[in-house]
Amino acid sequence: MKNPYVAFITATKDKSAPPNCHKFSGVNELLEHPEVDIVLLDQAPDQAAQSLSILRMQPAFQFNLIFTRDSNLVLGDGEIPDDPDLLIPAFRLWRERMSTFNRGQSPERFEERVLAWLWTRPSERLEPTLNSDAREIYRYPLLEVMAAEEPVNAMLWLNLMTEQEWLERGELLDRIRLCNRCNSGRLNYVDVCPDCQALDIAKQPSLHCFTCGHVAPQEHFLKNSLMICPNCLSRLRHIGSDYDRPLENFRCLSCQNFFIDADVEARCLECGEHHEPNELKIREIRPYQLSEHGRLRCRQGFSDQSVAEAFGRLNLIPGTSFRTLLNWEIQQARRYKSMQPCSLLLMRMEALEELTGYTEGLAIVDSLVDRIQEAIRDTDRCTRTREDLLWFLLPHTDRQGREVLRSRLSELSGLYQTQQSHWHKEIRLAGYTLPEDLLNQEDGDLLMARLTGEVS
Amino acid sequence: MLDGVLFQLLELLSGLGNLEGLTQFLLLLFPFFLLIELPFNLLVLAGVFRWYIRRLSANPNQSLYTPKVSCIITCYGEGRAVEKTLLTLCEQLYPGHIELIPVIDGAAENQVTMRAVRNFRVDQTLYPQRQLNPIAKWQRGGRVSSLNTGLQQASGDIVFALDGDTSFDNTMVGNMVRHFEDPNVPAIAGTLRVRNVWTSLITMIQALEYFLSIHTSKVGLSEWNTVNNVSGAFGAFRREFLLHIGGWDTHTAEDLDLTLRIKNYFGRRPLRIPFEPAAIGYTDVPDTFRSFFMQRLRWDGDLYFLYIRKHADSMTPRLLGWRNFLMTLIGGLFFQLVLPFLIVSYTLVGLVVLPLEVILLLFAVIYLVYFATTVIFYLTGMILVSERPREDLKLLPMVPIFPLLMFILRCWGVACTLNEIFRRGHEETSMAPWWVLRKGKRF
Repeated sequence: MKNPYVAFITATKDKSAPPNCHKFSGVNELLEHPEVDIVLLDQAPDQAAQSLSILRMQPAFQFNLIFTRDSNLVLGDGEIPDDPDLLIPAFRLWRERMSTFNRGQSPERFEERVLAWLWTRPSERLEPTLNSDAREIYRYPLLEVMAAEEPVNAMLWLNLMTEQEWLERGELLDRIRLCNRCNSGRLNYVDVCPDCQALDIAKQPSLHCFTCGHVAPQEHFLKNSLMICPNCLSRLRHIGSDYDRPLENFRCLSCQNFFIDADVEARCLECGEHHEPNELKIREIRPYQLSEHGRLRCRQGFSDQSVAEAFGRLNLIPGTSFRTLLNWEIQQARRYKSMQPCSLLLMRMEALEELTGYTEGLAIVDSLVDRIQEAIRDTDRCTRTREDLLWFLLPHTDRQGREVLRSRLSELSGLYQTQQSHWHKEIRLAGYTLPEDLLNQEDGDLLMARLTGEVS
Repeated sequence: MLDGVLFQLLELLSGLGNLEGLTQFLLLLFPFFLLIELPFNLLVLAGVFRWYIRRLSANPNQSLYTPKVSCIITCYGEGRAVEKTLLTLCEQLYPGHIELIPVIDGAAENQVTMRAVRNFRVDQTLYPQRQLNPIAKWQRGGRVSSLNTGLQQASGDIVFALDGDTSFDNTMVGNMVRHFEDPNVPAIAGTLRVRNVWTSLITMIQALEYFLSIHTSKVGLSEWNTVNNVSGAFGAFRREFLLHIGGWDTHTAEDLDLTLRIKNYFGRRPLRIPFEPAAIGYTDVPDTFRSFFMQRLRWDGDLYFLYIRKHADSMTPRLLGWRNFLMTLIGGLFFQLVLPFLIVSYTLVGLVVLPLEVILLLFAVIYLVYFATTVIFYLTGMILVSERPREDLKLLPMVPIFPLLMFILRCWGVACTLNEIFRRGHEETSMAPWWVLRKGKRF
């Protein structure tokens, strides 16, 4: 294996590059050399963070190993090792993982890019960083650089990926509240009048005279810098023995309402929306990592699922339901001699598994399914009992109709082959029509087993 | 027995006609009371009357003088009682700014007090002019160090020295501060009342004692500018003056020491230390006889330490002015230090020399004279001085008991003075830790 091409960028002018490394003046120069395998950023943490986010936005450097002086930078791969030779095993590991990701397909879409990044760095997680300048307070820098131009709602995306079991949640780091209109975390909590929601409220101290029990606002008691009860005219000298402050009420200076507890309102500083605190969005902030399931799919490739999705368009019904329907047709054929004909057709696509390992294969499957969809009727029922076996139950179809469909489907075999001439795979078909092909004692299961034998 | 006493009384009265009988009668009573105590008491009463008349004829005066006030609150083991002190200071009706400086001595060990101060919040909407600046002295340093630390941090023109277990009427600061408008006032004494009056008999008696000897008597003394002491639990000072004389001095009885040092300027400047009967502070007093007598052992012993040991040199009319020199000589030295010895020795001699009936008669007469004095002072105080006559009226049952306790206290004074003379009792004060006391200058 050839040695990796290591680029070295340093903030110190006269510092020379370590052995086997190529010195670059800065990130901009580096961008012209997409062949670089490893980048060493010998810069101060702030600058290195900036360089990192520039590099991670570039397709050429999105997944590459980038080492920095500071081991804690979010998009970096840790500290520059003292011994440059240590780069080689790290690079080898990285390349190995990169090549096994999704069966060697290069990550194209946003989620693939994020998954590839996590896949190539087994110990890394999708870490949130606190950023008080940001509206959402917490950001996921990796998602931002991977999204590039695409508009991505990070939280929504993370929830979706977690639901689909690609990612799993890490420990809870924080819980924040956001404006439910604009998702901003910049909120101001103010106490307002519960009646008119005005901001202009003031505490109004009240006094309680022990002698006569009179309670009134403090200013009613103050006369000539003495405190005298306006009701019984006794001098109030000492708090606790002559008087006390029973309640601290508020008065709204806008509607003159008198109240004990003010309402609390959360006002969004971005969009000006007023909320009650319990109307705010609550967001839990956690790191995310590849789940076991996600790792497996990264290794085995995503396309399996894409094939299933493609066949899903045929409105497949479960195998048991299909069998029940088939049995019902057989029973009718036995009992009513004059029933409408009904046919069963089996289609086997040879080596479909192999094919779906490649992007082109997936496209073939897609167009196959399109053509099948065109060929069959709404009233037909399909099921897939094995990866390569597709069953069609065709009501009101006699042998002739069955043969028409059969020939159409066998034409697909051409489509299946011409795309990639070196694959000589074919489509095999087997058919059966009720009531003429009805055999004694044969039920749905036996029939399907017999037809499967015919096509293998 | 009663017949014997009556017989003796009749004999005495019948003897009044002739010179010999009169001389005998006078001789018996003379040393205790008449020669010095009567004129002294008359002087005080005259002062009270003068104050009352002056106040009646005074023009109502709304002053605009509202300097910033700093309250140094010395805290030690008061616990949550401190909260009440702080609250009553926040509640002051005084329109000026008040800075509250609770100084917690030995804050590391007095966690409860520390927490109480720390958790106390001054609601700025309710008390916009009040500001809390607590100071924690983690290592204990004593009262004097607390006061001086507070003085260092104080930024007000007027500095109050207050106890952490004393709470105040809401007019207190306003009533005290107005005196400082006169530039010749360096300090003011405030009125202390007893907070735990109804706890026990001894607290009730002390309530009466505070009412008579502080509340009423000091009004009289103040009229002649001879206030004997600005209490450590409740006094106010002009900060500038306080800094000029170097703040509080180490040793016990720092309040009396400071008063004396201020008075040392009286001979040179027309200074005055008023007493303000309308500035009321409530404080807790000892609630058992034992703790009461131990407190007096300290107080009365400190008098000897201060007057004889520490400030003997400043006892001259040149420094104090004639008026205060004489007053200190009589009210301080004679009444507090000499009279107890006279009383005790006369009693002892009397017990040996005179027949029992005569002794009893003598005691009865003495009691009656003191009782009469108490009644006169009590009535004067109730009618002319008290701002809460209704409450003070409840102390009436204590009036007959009061002279007895005063007599006992006088006798106890002997023990106090002897304790100081021979055992240097002031060095055992609990007001400062031993490592501080040890370094203080010895007198």
